[in-house]
Amino acid sequence: MNPLLYFWLFLKGSLFSTGGLGNLPFLHQDLIALGWADETDFLAAIAVGQISPGPNGLWTIALGYLTYGWLGSALALVAITLPTLLALVVVALHRRLEGQPIVQDFTRGIALGVVGLSFGVSWVLFRATVSDWRGVAIVLAALALAASKRVPVIVVLALGGLAGWLLYA
Amino acid sequence: MTALRSRPPPRLSELLRAWLGIGLQSFGGGSSTLYLIHQACITRGWLDEAEFARAWALVQISPGINLIKLTAVIGYELRRWPGLCIALAGLLLPSAAITVLMTAGFAAIQQQPVVAAAMRGVIPATIGLSLAMGIQMARGLLDHARRDGRARLVSHSALLAAAALLYAVGRVSPVAVLGLAGVAAVALLGGAPAALRRARGRLRP
Repeated sequence: MNPLLYFWLFLKGSLFSTGGLGNLPFLHQDLIALGWADETDFLAAIAVGQISPGPNGLWTIALGYLTYGWLGSALALVAITLPTLLALVVVALHRRLEGQPIVQDFTRGIALGVVGLSFGVSWVLFRATVSDWRGVAIVLAALALAASKRVPVIVVLALGGLAGWLLYA
Repeated sequence: MTALRSRPPPRLSELLRAWLGIGLQSFGGGSSTLYLIHQACITRGWLDEAEFARAWALVQISPGINLIKLTAVIGYELRRWPGLCIALAGLLLPSAAITVLMTAGFAAIQQQPVVAAAMRGVIPATIGLSLAMGIQMARGLLDHARRDGRARLVSHSALLAAAALLYAVGRVSPVAVLGLAGVAAVALLGGAPAALRRARGRLRP
């Protein structure tokens, strides 16, 4: 494996995509074609990304570890961090233009769109993963606990795991 | 995010502690991470709901992982480059290390029925968390709109619902949904009302 090419493939995936799994199609195509990863690496990496702390995008680090060990995870970490600096340019540009009513409306629209998307994503996830009343009960209980703002997030997740174990095992 | 400069910036040690906490506690992937970042911003007074919504919106239109961009932007807003480095290190170093350790362990225990059953409970819990945060963010934006009159409350709610439906039912890509939401807002809202502009003007240094 060529570390420079490896790093470039990971960097390219982040540079030309957005969101946690946006780089998946790029890495899937490139690493499979080179024979540097197989399907099970991708499935395991994505599963770990869903439960480990931090953004789902850290699945990329799991993939780095599975395909290239510690060096792979370190290269993946740098490759997913560097492109984020471009967001500072967008924010600076926005600040320069934000006095314009048209820019204010556009930004407001994106903000509303983002919140709408988060409900859309929750719905899609719900349809894909919750199949019975037990899942619905856990969703509602977690929603109530989080809305009370008295329970730390890690406790909500631990209770979810405990409920899953009691209800499904 | 113009209002930021009117508040005293947090100490770097406070930033490090807060982001390390987020990096270590946000088991359950992106939904819990976003929830914790949102909570830290609001309870510590780093950003208010409107500023948070704007930052979260802006980071989605540049390349890369949204939560890492959000972290970089908030860190930079609060304490410039040192703040950015501390926020990124605090979020990423613990969570990346735990991710690698979990990757090593996951393959070994993935098939255990206990682990599979617990996972069936964790995933709905993360959905509940992201719903709670979505409701809180929606409330922030809609309260703003309500103060500007019923017409704006209706147009805001319609934009929000349309974005959710386009994605969930229409399977439109997120980037296209955001672009459409921006264009529709320009057409529907037709410039911020004078009261809002005056309020914004007061916040400027």
